[in-house]
Amino acid sequence: MQKSSKIEVVNEAAIERALTRITYEIIEKNKGVEDLILAGIKTRGVFLAHRIAQRIGQLEGQTVDVLELDISLYRDDREDGADEKQSTLSHTPAIKGKKVVIVDDVLYTGRTIRAALDAIIDLGRPDKILLAVLIDRGNRELPIRADFVGKNIPTSREETIQVSLKETDEADQVTIIKTP
Amino acid sequence: MRKRLLVLEDGTVFKGYGFGSPRETIGEVVFNTGMTGYQESITDQSYNGQLLTFTFPLIGNAGINRDDYESIFPTTRAVIVKEFARRPSNWRSQMNLDEFLKEKDIPGLTGVDTRRLTRVIREHGAMKAILTDDTRSIEDITYQLSQAKLPVNQVEQVSTTRPYVSPQNGRKVVVVDYGLKHSILHELNKRECHVTVLPHDTKAETILNLKPDGVMLTNGPGDPKDLPQAHEMVRELQKHVPIFGICLGHQLIALANGAETYKMTFGHRGFNHPVREIATGKIDFTSQNHGYAVSDESVNKEELMITHVEINDGTVEGLRHRHHPVFSVQYHPDAAPGPHDGAGLFDQFIELMDAWKVENKDA
Repeated sequence: MQKSSKIEVVNEAAIERALTRITYEIIEKNKGVEDLILAGIKTRGVFLAHRIAQRIGQLEGQTVDVLELDISLYRDDREDGADEKQSTLSHTPAIKGKKVVIVDDVLYTGRTIRAALDAIIDLGRPDKILLAVLIDRGNRELPIRADFVGKNIPTSREETIQVSLKETDEADQVTIIKTP
Repeated sequence: MRKRLLVLEDGTVFKGYGFGSPRETIGEVVFNTGMTGYQESITDQSYNGQLLTFTFPLIGNAGINRDDYESIFPTTRAVIVKEFARRPSNWRSQMNLDEFLKEKDIPGLTGVDTRRLTRVIREHGAMKAILTDDTRSIEDITYQLSQAKLPVNQVEQVSTTRPYVSPQNGRKVVVVDYGLKHSILHELNKRECHVTVLPHDTKAETILNLKPDGVMLTNGPGDPKDLPQAHEMVRELQKHVPIFGICLGHQLIALANGAETYKMTFGHRGFNHPVREIATGKIDFTSQNHGYAVSDESVNKEELMITHVEINDGTVEGLRHRHHPVFSVQYHPDAAPGPHDGAGLFDQFIELMDAWKVENKDA
């Protein structure tokens, strides 16, 4: 039997470049960073959101709030606990009338993003919600698309995309794992 | 060796010995602080019309090899060194600097205190200078120098007159040649780009008819304001296709979008220029060769974003267009010679072309 293979598809420098470019695009699309909130989806989305916020700070000299979004209670494959939704979200900046950019590492079926949309709407009514992802690997199951994409990596369902970030893992790296 | 003189516009006289071509020459005297890479520097067309001084005291010790040419017909006016190595020692060496300069008809001057010369240039700014035999009177030489006019059609002198192709399978990239370095083609070919090189005065329409995935504006000599037709070309081109500008290309993009350029006192020439990428705060050490720069205040912040700055003097080193797929750097990511910190910019160009293709495939 063949062993599963692990191939690096994005290296550290390319991750940095992708985040820098996404930052530029966010600033350009919003014509500045007024009323902007970055909502990182736990775990790695939060780290990416912080990295983007740091870049915005250096470029525009303004701090941007980063919201840490835990969407586990909003998942559609969960059958219990629907009543406790609010309690899991720590106190957050008011998002009414703001532009929220959801940040995540990989966009796949779109179900995580749907849950994140629910979570955000529960917090208030933002003016606009945008989506930034490091990797778009295709195979959507919901009508969701990203506004800012670091890198498009078309994959099959048999493959796994693994994003490693220095904040939790050993190095910045994106690998694709193929199991035969 | 024959005694020769270098006379500067401000009257300073340097005595030395001639090597290379015995020609008399007039040009702008500039200095390069690089410790290595003299072959690439001498053959870099951005030094067109300039008397190139090396601050490093020993030049030519690795000879001239067949790999490191940045152009086949260099147009550097003269090479000024403290000491040149008559007997090179390197396995790649094919000739010494003297033979090379004779072959290319470039005069050389050795035995000059190039560090003192550098101090003079730093104080007075880059100026006209003449390299001549010492049989004439200084008054005579100074008068000749004061009457001399330096050419303004420098890009025309060094750009290719006919289009040519540097083939490779992959993305179609048009390179507009303002005095390109071979290493730019090398970097693009390495990244699977099929490169078509076009002359400097090519019209935007001609380029767009080739349906390129991206356009690269190269480095080159002289004042970017001498090329008004290029500003027009960039303005038209940027609406339709991704553009990456290096050095002169960067200045042209700035001018095309309403910014101003100015002549620096003595420019940036060397490989040790620290540049900060503002977004990440990361410092790259870069290879640079420019005597003009984009003025910081003139940049229209609604149109362009300053992405990189030199940390010693705050010069604008990188720009990005807010509405079009255009970015540029003042320094040389091709890094020949010099540190390879900026090489990722070519990858950024590739990523930009690929992303633009995905976005515009329906259009």
